[in-house]
Amino acid sequence: MTTLLILFDVLLLGTLLALAFAAVLSVEPRRAVMLFIAFGLWLSLVWARMQAPDVALAEAAIGAGLGGALMLAAARRAARVRRSEANGSTMP
Amino acid sequence: MDSLQQVIAALLIALGALFFIAGTVGLLRLPDLFTRLHALTKADNLGLGLIMLGLVVQTPDVFYAVKLVLLWVLVMVSGATGAHLIAKRALRDDGEDLT
Amino acid sequence: MAIPTMPEFLLGAALLLLATMSAGLWRIVVGPTPPDRMMAAQLLGTSGIAVLLLLSLALEVPALLDVALIFALLAAVSVAAFTRRRVGKDQA
Repeated sequence: MTTLLILFDVLLLGTLLALAFAAVLSVEPRRAVMLFIAFGLWLSLVWARMQAPDVALAEAAIGAGLGGALMLAAARRAARVRRSEANGSTMP
Repeated sequence: MDSLQQVIAALLIALGALFFIAGTVGLLRLPDLFTRLHALTKADNLGLGLIMLGLVVQTPDVFYAVKLVLLWVLVMVSGATGAHLIAKRALRDDGEDLT
Repeated sequence: MAIPTMPEFLLGAALLLLATMSAGLWRIVVGPTPPDRMMAAQLLGTSGIAVLLLLSLALEVPALLDVALIFALLAAVSVAAFTRRRVGKDQA
């Protein structure tokens, strides 16, 4: 049981760190948001493993769900603004 | 793991895990978006269904078992709707970004 | 080799699912298209639900079932936010 738990924790934490780096270092906004949602999901699993279901609940609902949906909308709007600016500057 | 009940539960959970593995392999290896979507939905519905059944078999609490079944139904409905939305969106504008 | 007890078996199954989840993350990182990433996120959510159910019995924390419910909700909300599009082009 303990060996399994340690293995579980190592895999959980290693992937969490990798996800965090991937989300921070990605250039394209939509990809970053998608990675952020995955990160929130994963962090919620970590809280669940620590036997804190209430924190896991808040993390999944607010951190990943609400934050992710809002950030998707923001990324979409940013892309549109950038595109219209580009159009404006190329027009004579 | 000695009673028949537990053996059945273990078998069901192992089968469900197998479906999840197959779904992930499909997601990684299949060539285009729609074949991947096809692999994904099988893993979603059947994999989770089998694991849920394996847990229902060994729970003592009836309320807990009912909750598990309801959770599975919710995942099936939302998963099917989500897969449909993604496929429709990809079909209409080729995954291109937005208005 | 001893026959594993039930919590050990459940934890082992959860570990296996966690490993497949980490493999599935690769699809989120490489894409290639946004729908691909969203699909991978959906599979991640479902596998996360399965892991939570297994953990809930293995660690004997019944409240983790509620976290699993929130995960199901999160998958639906993020897919809806992702596939949303505007009808008229000219609104801000």
